[in-house]
Amino acid sequence: MKGSNDPVLRFLAPSFLFVALFSLYPIIESFRLSLYRMILTLPWLGQKFVGLENYQDLFGDPVALQSLLTSITFVAVTTPIEVLLGLGMALVLNESFRGRGWLRAIVLVPWAIPTVVASQMWRFIFNDRYGLFNFVLFGDATDRYWAPLAEPGLALLSIMVADIWKTSSFAALIILAGLQAIPRELYEAASIDGASAWQKFRLITLPLVKPALLLALLFRTIDALKVFDLVFVMTQGGPADTTNVLQFYGYKKSFAEGMIGYGSAIAVAVFSLSLILALVYIRLLGARLLAREQRA
Amino acid sequence: MVVLTAILVGLLYITLPYSGAAETSLRFVTWRPQPPWLWDQAIADFETAHPGIKVVREVGPHSSTEFHDLVAQKLKNGDAEMDVFFMDVIWPAEFAAAGWALPLNKFFHTNEQKAFIEAPILANTYQGQIYGVPLFIDAGMLYYRRDLLEKYDFSPPGTWPELVRQAKIILAKEKDPYLTGLSAQFKQYEGLICNMMEYISSNGGELWDGPTLKATLHLAKAKEAVRFVRDQIIREISHRGVLAYQEPESLALFTQGKAIFHRNWPYAWEAANDPKRSMVAGRVGVTRLPSFPSGKSVAALGGWQMAISRFSRKAELAWKFVAFMTSEEMQKRIALHAGRAPARKELYSDREVLKKNPQFSSQIEALMQAVPRPRTPVYLPLSNIMQRYFSSAIAIPDSNIDQLAGVAARDMNRVLDLLRERPRP
Repeated sequence: MKGSNDPVLRFLAPSFLFVALFSLYPIIESFRLSLYRMILTLPWLGQKFVGLENYQDLFGDPVALQSLLTSITFVAVTTPIEVLLGLGMALVLNESFRGRGWLRAIVLVPWAIPTVVASQMWRFIFNDRYGLFNFVLFGDATDRYWAPLAEPGLALLSIMVADIWKTSSFAALIILAGLQAIPRELYEAASIDGASAWQKFRLITLPLVKPALLLALLFRTIDALKVFDLVFVMTQGGPADTTNVLQFYGYKKSFAEGMIGYGSAIAVAVFSLSLILALVYIRLLGARLLAREQRA
Repeated sequence: MVVLTAILVGLLYITLPYSGAAETSLRFVTWRPQPPWLWDQAIADFETAHPGIKVVREVGPHSSTEFHDLVAQKLKNGDAEMDVFFMDVIWPAEFAAAGWALPLNKFFHTNEQKAFIEAPILANTYQGQIYGVPLFIDAGMLYYRRDLLEKYDFSPPGTWPELVRQAKIILAKEKDPYLTGLSAQFKQYEGLICNMMEYISSNGGELWDGPTLKATLHLAKAKEAVRFVRDQIIREISHRGVLAYQEPESLALFTQGKAIFHRNWPYAWEAANDPKRSMVAGRVGVTRLPSFPSGKSVAALGGWQMAISRFSRKAELAWKFVAFMTSEEMQKRIALHAGRAPARKELYSDREVLKKNPQFSSQIEALMQAVPRPRTPVYLPLSNIMQRYFSSAIAIPDSNIDQLAGVAARDMNRVLDLLRERPRP
C-alpha cells in the first residue's frame, strides 16, 4: 500500500461524496433527530432537545423490547435455514447436468419477484378459507382449516416461511459463486488419493466455501433484521402484536404517529444492531482472508 | 392485489409527464373508488365544465392506514404538487393541528354546512374551522341472512347476547362446517377500533373520555364488552380466521353464504344483493347493530371527505373541484351507482335514490346517529395502543384482560397528557 497521494484521493472523492450524501448524512440526521422530542401533529410543542430521553424511553418500552425479541427470533430462525438451503441448492447447481442453466434461472425466480408481490401471494396462500395452504394440508375437510395469519402462535412462523422461500435463492447465488472459485484440480487430486465424496466435501469444499457462507450469512442477517415489507403486507404487526418487528414499530412511530424523535431513536437502534453484527461478521471474514493470504 | 394495482397505477401517474402546458392541472390524491367508470365520468364532466383545467389523479392504497401514511408524508414535506386529497373521518383534527389541511370556512359557509348530516360536519371541524367536505358517510350496520333467520323463526337480534344465542342454534342445526356465526373486522388495524367501539359504547363504555382527556378502557363496562367479544363471539360463534379479516374478506365470506351475521358499512348492501357478486342476493336483511341489554345501539361513524392541501398553490381552483365532487348531483350518482350513503340530508328523501337503495330508509336512523371516534390530533398514537390491546385481548383465548387494559389505559394517558402541555413561547 502506497501513502496517500493526490491522484488516489481524487479518484476516491466521487464515491466518498456519494456515500456521504446518501448514507452518512441520513444516518447523522437520524441520530440528531433522535435527541429531540418532535411530534408532527402537535407543532405548537415545538422541537425540544431532550438528550438521551428517547433512548431511555426506548429501553423502558415493553412494546419496543417485545419487538426487538420478535426481530431477533426472526433473524435467528430464518438466516441459518436460508443459508443451509442455499448451500444445498448451490451444491446441486454447481454440478454439471442437462438443463442446469434452466434450473439456475428457475431457482432465482423467488428472489427476483418484488417482495410486495410475494408477500401478497403468501397472504393468499395462508388465507383461512380459500388459501392453498389449507387445501394442500386438509383438502375438503374445512372444519380442520387453520388460519395461520390470525393465530398469535403461527403468524410470525408464516412470515418466516415466506421469507425463507423468498431469499434462500439469494444465499444460493452467493454460495454458488464461492463454489465456482474452488479449483477443480483439488478434487482431482483428492480422487487420486482415494478420498470419498464426503471427505471431499468436508475437507475441500467446506473450508474453501466458508468465506462465501459467511458473506451470505452477513447479508441475510442484516436484511432479516430490517424485515419490513412482509410484515406490512401480510399482517400489519398483528395478531396480538406478535409480528410487530422493530423496523415496523419504528415505521409506525415515525410515519403514522408522527413521533419523529422517538421513531428516529428506533431507527438508530436498528442501525446500531446491524452495524455491530456486520462488524462481527467482517472481522470473522477478514481474519479468514488474512489467514489465507499469509499461507499463500 | 387491489392494493398492488393501486400502487402500480399510482406510480404510473407519477411518472406520466404533464400533457399540454397551456392547461392548468390539479393533482387529486385518491384511492381507487368503485366502480371506476363513475369517477372517470365525474372527472371528465368537471373538465368539460371547466375548460383548461386538467385533473391528474394519483391513486394510493385503499387501506385507510396506508393511505394516511402516503398523504401525511406528502403534507409533512410540504409537497406543493398535491392539491386535493381524500381524508378519512378520523384525520381532520390531526391534519388541522399540524397545519396541513386548508381551513375551508371562506368557501364552505355555515349555512351550506347545514345541508349535510351533522356528525361528519362535526368530525371535520376543529377549533371552529372546517377542514373537509363530506363526500359520503359510513356507519356500522348489521347484515343478516333473512332466509336463515326466518327458517328458525328468529327476528333480527336487538342485543349482542341474543345474536350469539341465535347464531349458536342456527350453527348447531345447520351442521355446515363452512358456516360461521358472525363475520366482522377483527384484524389488528383501524377497523378493529370501529368494531370494538361498537361493543364497548353499546355497553355504556367509551374508548376514552374526550372532555377530560382520560383513558377509560380499564373501567368495568369497557372490559366487560371486550371479554364478551373474546368469550362469546370469537370462541363460540366465529371461526378464528376473522382475526385476520378486514372489510373485503369478511364481506366475501358473507356473500358466499358462509356467514349468518355480518358487520359492515352501508356499501355492503349493494355488494350482497348483486347476483353477479353474491350467492345470497335477495336473501339479505340489514338492521342497526345490537347493543348490550343495558345500553343502546352504537354505530361507528366512518366516511370520506375531500380536503385541500395548505401547500397547494391553486386553492381557488381546488375548491371548484371539491365543490363539484361533493355537490348534490355527484353524491346522488355515488349513491345510485356505488351504494355509498350520501352525506347530504336531502338525498335521503330522493325517490330515485331510495328506489335503488331501499336500505337507506332503514339505515337513516343509524346513519344520523352514528358516533364519531373522539376527535384529537393524537388519534393515531391512541389508535395503535388500542389496536394492540384489542387484538391481544381477543386473539389470545386466555388473555389477561385486566392487565392488558391497565397497560393500554396507562399508555393512552401518557399520550393524552401531551395535549395538556402549554404551547412553547
